[in-house]
Amino acid sequence: MPLIKVESLVKRYPMGKSQFTALRDINLQFEKGEFCGIIGPSGSGKTTLLNIIGSLDIPSEGSATVLGKKIEVLSHKEAARLRCRHMGFIFQTYNLLPVYTVFENVEFPLLIMKMSEKERKKKVLDALEWLGMTDKIDYRPAQLSGGESQRVAVARAIVKQPELVLADEPTANLDAENSYNILERMVKLNKELKTTFIFATHDEKVIRYLKRKIYLVDGRVAKDEVIH
Amino acid sequence: MLALKLAYRNIKGAGLRTWLNVAVLSLAYVLIIWHQGIFTGMLKHGSQAVIEDEIAGGQYWHKNYDPFDPLSYDESHGPIPAELAGLIKDKKATPILIRQAAIYPEGRIQTVLLKGIEPGQTILGIPSAGLDKEEDALPVLIGRRMAKSTSLGIGDYLTIRWRDVQGTFDAVEGKIVEIMNTKVPTMDKGQLWVPLEELQKMTGMKDEATIIVVGQNVQGQGDVSPHQSFWCGDVSDWKFKDQNFLLTDINEMVRSKRISAGILYVILLFLAMLAIFDTQVLSIFKRRKEIGTLIALGMTRRQVISLFTLEGAMHGILAVGVAAIYGIPWIIFYSKRGMKIPQATEEYGFALAGRLYPSYSVGLVLGTVLIVMATVTIVSYLPTRKISKMKPTEALKGKIS
Repeated sequence: MPLIKVESLVKRYPMGKSQFTALRDINLQFEKGEFCGIIGPSGSGKTTLLNIIGSLDIPSEGSATVLGKKIEVLSHKEAARLRCRHMGFIFQTYNLLPVYTVFENVEFPLLIMKMSEKERKKKVLDALEWLGMTDKIDYRPAQLSGGESQRVAVARAIVKQPELVLADEPTANLDAENSYNILERMVKLNKELKTTFIFATHDEKVIRYLKRKIYLVDGRVAKDEVIH
Repeated sequence: MLALKLAYRNIKGAGLRTWLNVAVLSLAYVLIIWHQGIFTGMLKHGSQAVIEDEIAGGQYWHKNYDPFDPLSYDESHGPIPAELAGLIKDKKATPILIRQAAIYPEGRIQTVLLKGIEPGQTILGIPSAGLDKEEDALPVLIGRRMAKSTSLGIGDYLTIRWRDVQGTFDAVEGKIVEIMNTKVPTMDKGQLWVPLEELQKMTGMKDEATIIVVGQNVQGQGDVSPHQSFWCGDVSDWKFKDQNFLLTDINEMVRSKRISAGILYVILLFLAMLAIFDTQVLSIFKRRKEIGTLIALGMTRRQVISLFTLEGAMHGILAVGVAAIYGIPWIIFYSKRGMKIPQATEEYGFALAGRLYPSYSVGLVLGTVLIVMATVTIVSYLPTRKISKMKPTEALKGKIS
């Protein structure tokens, strides 16, 4: 059974009196442990598809089944539970909580999962060690560089060891060196923990690392390429 | 618990914004409590002074007596009933005879109430013992307000003219033997206190009285034997007026003043509400990206709403602490030292003497804290309802849909 199954998916947005179609007839499957990317220019629908897979949005037509749950029929509460327990998100602008320290930011998903303090502390320190951020656990996001902020965001996404990590343009605001560091760590995580990574990107630096490349053009899958 | 923990982290991290709100709220707490305490103190001390100096445990009024109708005074006297005579003998009650009279201080005529009281009575707190003096004229006790308005001092003589029981005018020379410092203006202004027996003789009203004041301890303990059968009830031509009845005016006066205090209460509460409401609206606008992130990380909308509401409500809790730090010493200082009352206020007829001592009860403090807390929580919640309409995908981009 695939980890994610998208069937005849269509997404439309109201635009004035008419409707704008962001995704048209998308049919895709993702297996556990994939390291793949949805590639396309701005406005091609890659973030929209990522949001639907992440249960932050619902399809207008068709269906998206993620970890056995049909996204279009999930209640707000069920969708929140799915995200909380099984998914990690990485955003282009990091989206760290500004008043929390690095430690508290990474700890946040575990707090929502109501994990014990002892277990939380161990997992947070492990995640931060993985990302090489143990020396800055008491820093606040405003005191971090872009690369450091994204490493914290990755640590927050992987701290609960989710089945699925969704990354929306994770390297768009990073220089080559920081992008390389982040991606190397993600590849390592994918290999060691079999975590599925799905990127929405048009960054060449990321594309080089992908094992599967899904090209979107005007909301349609133009090419689905697996690299061996 | 999770919401509490996160709310605490958020308001701690918000720094100056939090402290500004807390400062405004704590000021609202302290001012509301302080102001309410002033009115409670006004009622408490005013009532206490009136009880001590004027009404004691209650009064028996002659059936014709109406304190608001001076024309009734001529007819409002009668023999002290045998049932009450026992109380008077046991020093558990004291009779007062009230007649209208005129005095001529410095050659000017002034209408007064001539009140006869037993010099040895201990039921009322006025220094009536001063009347028990051998003088070459009728000994007279007046209050400091009366002394001021008539320019009379101790040792001064004045002519007193009255009508006896037959309606015949008579006059006598009086001598001021004592000036009392009573807090109760109605025991003072326009009144001359003379020995009861003298007044009874002067008016031909032997063993008669207008009112009979009963001691506080008598009413409190119900210690009226052997007169239990008529206690707190009317006795032939005498109507019993209890403390509640006799304090009606002062209670009404404080009640009317409380209305103006209520307006200030609402204004202060409104200011506090405005501070919280603005902060919440600003928070939701400024933190929409954060709201999107919280939802993406797995929080439900209800959890996010609870978190933001709790953040607002926690300002109220913090404000209680801050208010306690500076408010308790302030309130203690005023309740011990009192506030000087301008003389003009004394003229209103309030029994407050020179200083007003605010009075604070646990109920007042807890009640105010609960009302402000409830208001803050409601006002914190109202703007957060917008979160439930937010699309997480829009919020993540920093937009409000």
